[in-house]
Amino acid sequence: MRFILRRLGFFLLTLWAALTLNFFIPRFMPGDPVDALVVRTRGRVSRDALEQMLTSFGFKPDQNVAVQYVDYLGHMFTGNWGRSIGQTLGEPVTKLIGGALPWTLGLVGITTVLAFVLGTLIGTVSGWRRGGALDAILPPIFVITSALPYFWVGLLLILVFSQGTGGWLPANFNYDTTIVPGFSPGFVGSVLSHAVLPAATLLITTIGGWILTMRNNMITTLAEDYVRMARAKGLGSRRIMYGYAARNAILPNLAGFAMSLGFVISGAILIEYVFNYPGIGYLLYNAVQNVDYPLMQALFMLFTVAVLVALLAVDIATVWLDPRARAKG
Amino acid sequence: MRPTRILAAAVIGALAVTATACSETKHKGGSDGNDATQSSGPKKKGGTVTIANTAGQTWTCNFNPFNPAVYNTSIGFVYEPLIYVNALKNQAETPMLAKSYKWNADKTQIDFTIRSGVKWNDGKPLTAKDVAFTFNLMKRVRSTDLYALWTTAGLRSATASGDQVTLKFDKAAQPYFYAFAHQVAIVPEHVFGTGAAAAHPDTWVDKKPVGTGPFEVNPCSPNNIQYTANPDYWQQGKPYIQKVEYPAYLDNGPANLDLANGKAQWGSQFIPGIKQFYLDKSPDNHTWSPPVLNVGIYPNLDPSHKMSSNLKVRRAISYAIDRDKVSKIGVGGQEPAANQSGIVTPTFDTYYDKAAVEKAGFDKPDPARAKKLLGELGYSPSKPLKLKIITITGYTDWDASLNVIKQNLKAVGIDLTVQDLAQQTMVGKLYTGDYDLAYYNQQTSGPTPYYELRQMLHSANTAPLGKNATSNYQRYKNPKVDQLLNDYASADETKQVEIVKQVAQYMIDDVPVIPVVEAVDWFQYNTKDIAGWPTEDNPYAQPAAYNFPDTGQVLTHLYSKSAQ
Repeated sequence: MRFILRRLGFFLLTLWAALTLNFFIPRFMPGDPVDALVVRTRGRVSRDALEQMLTSFGFKPDQNVAVQYVDYLGHMFTGNWGRSIGQTLGEPVTKLIGGALPWTLGLVGITTVLAFVLGTLIGTVSGWRRGGALDAILPPIFVITSALPYFWVGLLLILVFSQGTGGWLPANFNYDTTIVPGFSPGFVGSVLSHAVLPAATLLITTIGGWILTMRNNMITTLAEDYVRMARAKGLGSRRIMYGYAARNAILPNLAGFAMSLGFVISGAILIEYVFNYPGIGYLLYNAVQNVDYPLMQALFMLFTVAVLVALLAVDIATVWLDPRARAKG
Repeated sequence: MRPTRILAAAVIGALAVTATACSETKHKGGSDGNDATQSSGPKKKGGTVTIANTAGQTWTCNFNPFNPAVYNTSIGFVYEPLIYVNALKNQAETPMLAKSYKWNADKTQIDFTIRSGVKWNDGKPLTAKDVAFTFNLMKRVRSTDLYALWTTAGLRSATASGDQVTLKFDKAAQPYFYAFAHQVAIVPEHVFGTGAAAAHPDTWVDKKPVGTGPFEVNPCSPNNIQYTANPDYWQQGKPYIQKVEYPAYLDNGPANLDLANGKAQWGSQFIPGIKQFYLDKSPDNHTWSPPVLNVGIYPNLDPSHKMSSNLKVRRAISYAIDRDKVSKIGVGGQEPAANQSGIVTPTFDTYYDKAAVEKAGFDKPDPARAKKLLGELGYSPSKPLKLKIITITGYTDWDASLNVIKQNLKAVGIDLTVQDLAQQTMVGKLYTGDYDLAYYNQQTSGPTPYYELRQMLHSANTAPLGKNATSNYQRYKNPKVDQLLNDYASADETKQVEIVKQVAQYMIDDVPVIPVVEAVDWFQYNTKDIAGWPTEDNPYAQPAAYNFPDTGQVLTHLYSKSAQ
C-alpha cells in the first residue's frame, strides 16, 4: 500500500511540474498569436481589429504572468480551457478536443492495443519455438516493416488499395463526408472502411517492435532455472509457455506498452495528416502552427496526464504480476 | 492555399511518380474549358459542386462574417457585399445589394441605392437600415471593424434614409471603396441587433446564417459543409447549381488526390507537377491561375544593414536573377516571372510601363551588369559577397526558387545562404526587421496595383527596427512616393494610372523590393459535369475558392451540363 501511495505522490508532483512547464514553454516560443492571425487572414484585415478580436476571445498578453499562471492552473483542473485563438478562432477548446479525441482514441487506441497483443503473442510463440518456421519468417519481416516511416507506408497503401484498385478503400477522412453522422449502418460501415488503411499503416509499422522484444525476452527467460524446474516437474508445455515464461518475459514490455498507450492521445500526427483523419494529432500541429495558446495548453495537459496515468497503471500492474515488487513495497 | 506544404510535397511527389507510370491515356491539359454549351442564357437547375481547398482544420460550423477565421466559407456563399469589384477586369463592377452609388466631388461622401425586393433567407426583406446597421456595428464594436474603416479610412457616419445609405468620410475615401463596398458583408439587423449577437457580434457563433446570398448552410458537420441553393435568391433563376459540398481537408495531399480523380471539381491550391498529377489524368481537368501579387526578395533598407541597404547590391541582385528560369524550375511554370516595376502582368497591363523597365535594363537578366556593380564594391565570383536570406520552411516551391536564385547570384559574385525558418519565426523576424534579405510576398491584393504598391512602399506601413511593421517590412521611406500614394485617393482614373506608373518608376530606381515571380490565385477546375467556370477569356471573378466575395460570383455562374 505504501508503494502505491508513494507512486501517487510522485504522480502529483510530476503533474504539477509538467503543467508549469506547459504554461511557460509556449510563451517562450517564437511567434505571437496576432502575427499568426495577420498571416492567416492574408494581411487583409487591420491588425488593430485582430488584436481586439483575440482579446474578445480571451487573449491577455499584458496581464501579470503570475496572475495568468494561477488562473491557468485553476482552469486546467476545472475544465475551463478557454476558446481557441488560432485557426479555429473562437471555438471552445473543449469542443475542439471533444470532436477530435474519439477519432484518435478509436483509431490509434485500438490499433496500439491490437499491435501489442498480436505482437506479444507472435513474439511468445516464435521465442518458444525458436528456429521454427514461424520464428524464421515473421520476426524478420516485421522488423523490416517497423523500420519503415509511417507516411511512406501510408502512401504505399493508398496507392495500392485506393488509387491502384480504383477506390476499393477510401484514402481520406474518417467517414464519407456526404453522410450525416448518426448511428446508421451506412455511417458505421463508412467509419470502419475509412479506418482500414490508417489502422493497417499503424499496425504494420508498430507490431515489429513488440514481436522482437517479446521474442528476445522469451529466449532469455527460457534459460532461467524456474523454467527448467517446471519442465523437470513435468508440467504441460502450454502452462510453462504462458504461466512461467511469458508471464515473466512480458514484464519489461509493460512499461513500454503503458508509454505507448499514453502517447495514443497525442495521436499519430503523420498518419492523421496523410489520411486526412481529423484526430488529435493534426489539432496539435495546427495549434503549434498558429500559436494557439489555449488549445496547446489543454492538449499538452492531456498528453501529460495520459502518460502519467498510464505509468501509474503499469506500476500497479507490475505489483500484481510480479511478487518481488510486492515484497519490496 | 499555402499552409502545410511540408507533407504535401512529399505526398504528391511520391504519388505523381508512380501514378504517371501506370496511367495510359495522355491528354492535353489547359484552359480550354469553354465548350459550346456555355452561353449566357438561363440554365436549368441541378448538379453538385465539390470544393477541394485545404482548410487545414475541421469546420467549426460558425458563419459569423465578422470572424476572420471563417469568412471565406460564409461571405459569398451566404452573405453578400454591396458591389462586386473584379480585380481581374480592371475593377469592373457588378452591383450586388446596392443597385448603384454616387460619390460627391471630393470623394468624401458616397450614397448607395439599395436594391429592392431582396430577401434574407428567413423571408424578411433587406432594407437600407440593415446596411447602415452593419457599418454602425463596426463602430460600436471595434474588433468587427476588420478593415479599419472607422479609424484609418476616416469613416464618420453611416445613415439610412428610404432606400439610400450615406457614408461620410473625413478625407477622400476612394481607395477604401474596395473594402467597404466589396469586402464588407451586409448582415441583418433583426439577427445581429438582438440578444447574444448584439452583445458580442465578434465572438457570437453564427450557426444558421441568415444572409441574402445564393446558398444556405444545410447542414454543417466538422468534416463537411453542405450548402443548398437559396430558393428565393434575388437573382432570378439563380443559382443553377443546387448543392455545394465543402469537405474540410487537413492537408494539400488528400485534397489534390480528390481533384486528380475527379471527386472534387473546384481546387484552389498549389499542385506540384500539375501536368502529370492532375491535367494528364482527365481531359476534363483544367487549370487557370491568374497572377495577382509579387513574390520577391525584401532587402532590409535600414542603414544598419550595410549590404542590403546599398542600392548597388540590390540592383546587382535584380540584374542577376533569371526570372524566367526561376518560374520554370522553381514553380514548374505555374507562377509567371515578375518584373522590377512591381506591376503584375498581364493582370494589370493597363498600369505597366514596359518601356521604363526596358530602359533600366531590367527586361532580361544581365549578369554582366550585375558583375560590374559588384566589382565597384570590390566583390567578384572569386571574392564573393556573403548574404543570408530567410524563408519559410516547408514552402518547397520557394526553396526551389531560391536554389535557382542562389546559382544566378553565385555567377556574379554573391554567395547566398538560405535560412529555412518556421513560419512564426520567419514572419517575426520579417515584421521586426531582423534580417538582411527575406523571400516573401504581400498577402493581399486589390483591384489595381496601387494596393500592393501602397502596402509595400508607404512609410506609414513601416516601423523602426525592433517594432512590428505592418507591410513595408523592408523599411522604405520616400516622401515623394508617400505623396503620390496619398494623391491617388482623390484622383480620377486616368490620373490614378499615371500615379501608379510613377510609383513603379521608384520601384525601378530605388529597388526597394526585388520581385521575382508573380503569386497567383490557385485554381483547378473539372468540366465533366460543371460548366460556367471563370477562364482566361472570361475572367468574371477571381477563381480561387478562398477569395470572398468572389465565390458568390463563381457559384452563380456555374451550372450542371447533365441537368440541361
